[in-house]
Amino acid sequence: MELDGAGLVLGVQGEVDYLTAPELGAALDSLIDHRQPSVVVDLARCEFMDSSGLHMIAGRASRLRERGSTLTVRSPSATVRRLAAIMGLVEMIEQEQVRPLEVDAVDDSSSMPAAVPEEMVRYLRSSISSDGVVDAALRLVAGLARDAVGGADGASVSLRRSGVLTTVAATDQTVLDMDAGQYATGQGPCVDAANEGRGFHATSLDTEVRWSDFVPRARTLGIRAILSSPLFSRGQPCGALNIYARHPGAFTSRDQALAWKLAAQVSGDLVDMATGDTAQQAWSRFVGVLTAREALARAEGVLMEREGVDQNAAHGILRRRSVQSGMPLQHGAASTVGSTQPRSPGGTVGVEAPDG
Amino acid sequence: MAELAGDVLDRFRRSAGLSHSELWLRYFELGGMSSTVELQAILYGALLPTAHDHDVIAHALNERFVELGGNHPVPYDSDEHETA
Repeated sequence: MELDGAGLVLGVQGEVDYLTAPELGAALDSLIDHRQPSVVVDLARCEFMDSSGLHMIAGRASRLRERGSTLTVRSPSATVRRLAAIMGLVEMIEQEQVRPLEVDAVDDSSSMPAAVPEEMVRYLRSSISSDGVVDAALRLVAGLARDAVGGADGASVSLRRSGVLTTVAATDQTVLDMDAGQYATGQGPCVDAANEGRGFHATSLDTEVRWSDFVPRARTLGIRAILSSPLFSRGQPCGALNIYARHPGAFTSRDQALAWKLAAQVSGDLVDMATGDTAQQAWSRFVGVLTAREALARAEGVLMEREGVDQNAAHGILRRRSVQSGMPLQHGAASTVGSTQPRSPGGTVGVEAPDG
Repeated sequence: MAELAGDVLDRFRRSAGLSHSELWLRYFELGGMSSTVELQAILYGALLPTAHDHDVIAHALNERFVELGGNHPVPYDSDEHETA
């Protein structure tokens, strides 16, 4: 133990696990009585620390905070830093140790943890489709459809993104308006092809009896024939390739076959990418996973203390409960944490040894 | 030591319709500590998982099977008294 510019420093050596964590707790308890404005736990020479050690430190940090002091962790190993991030304890780590998230595509910093595991960043990067490139490719597809299919005056690609049909590529404004009219009425060959996964051909809107709300709008825009072919992602219909003509009967059976073939070729990798997670969706998922994992770590801590078991055994208890109940493991973790004291206002874990 | 070879786990992964990255995300959410590369090595049989790691992977797969209407078809390694 020594004093430096940052406050009272407690150096930790060797390994800290559920067997030796109480020893660390006792050492920290002795520091609490020193009434120093700040306490530093230096892990530079700590060879190993599991969640029980971090739980112990977090509990003492909470007590120090109640006394107007602060506790920070200095020089944690990469594993301890990762564990702290997972457990939502990064605020305890000295600022220079915190590595910021480096994902340019994400601009919502309001819910961003200070540090995240490298693996999660890698996942995030790999799961985000490059919307600009994919959409540019789909615009080429729309142009190709207009030029290759006889009688076509315009074409578009509609895809379901976040559960909503959206035009991601269109050759002109009339086509955009045609698509929008179908989305607004919930009717039309585009909507039906995207929902049912089969092709729809409106030979002549002058005599068309389907889609009574949409067809009058289409006539107003000067469109008389529509050919919609379904697009698939991972085997499920997810959109449509729409081809529009100003003349009734513009599309022959060969045109239908060509449109279907084009749609089939686009389906697959390109559509998969276009309907994949956007940056925001991937980020939301990522935050959800981190939050769930933090809750799980807290539940394991509760069980470790309550049952006197190690972390793996605590995980096993939660897993067996999940199998027996048929409920996800995270549900059991949430109820385990809910059965104890709530999370402290300071944001640290609510698993502490009783005040002595 | 794990009873199931990694390729068996990988067959379950394919049956569950999960990509490697999707399985890793579910595994990570359940407390798994291995990296994406390590998980793939386990699934390819190049790395032997610990019993605990095996069970976290098995549970991630089983939760997916429950979502699909199944009932925990992937056996666990460390729990002899598991009831599925």
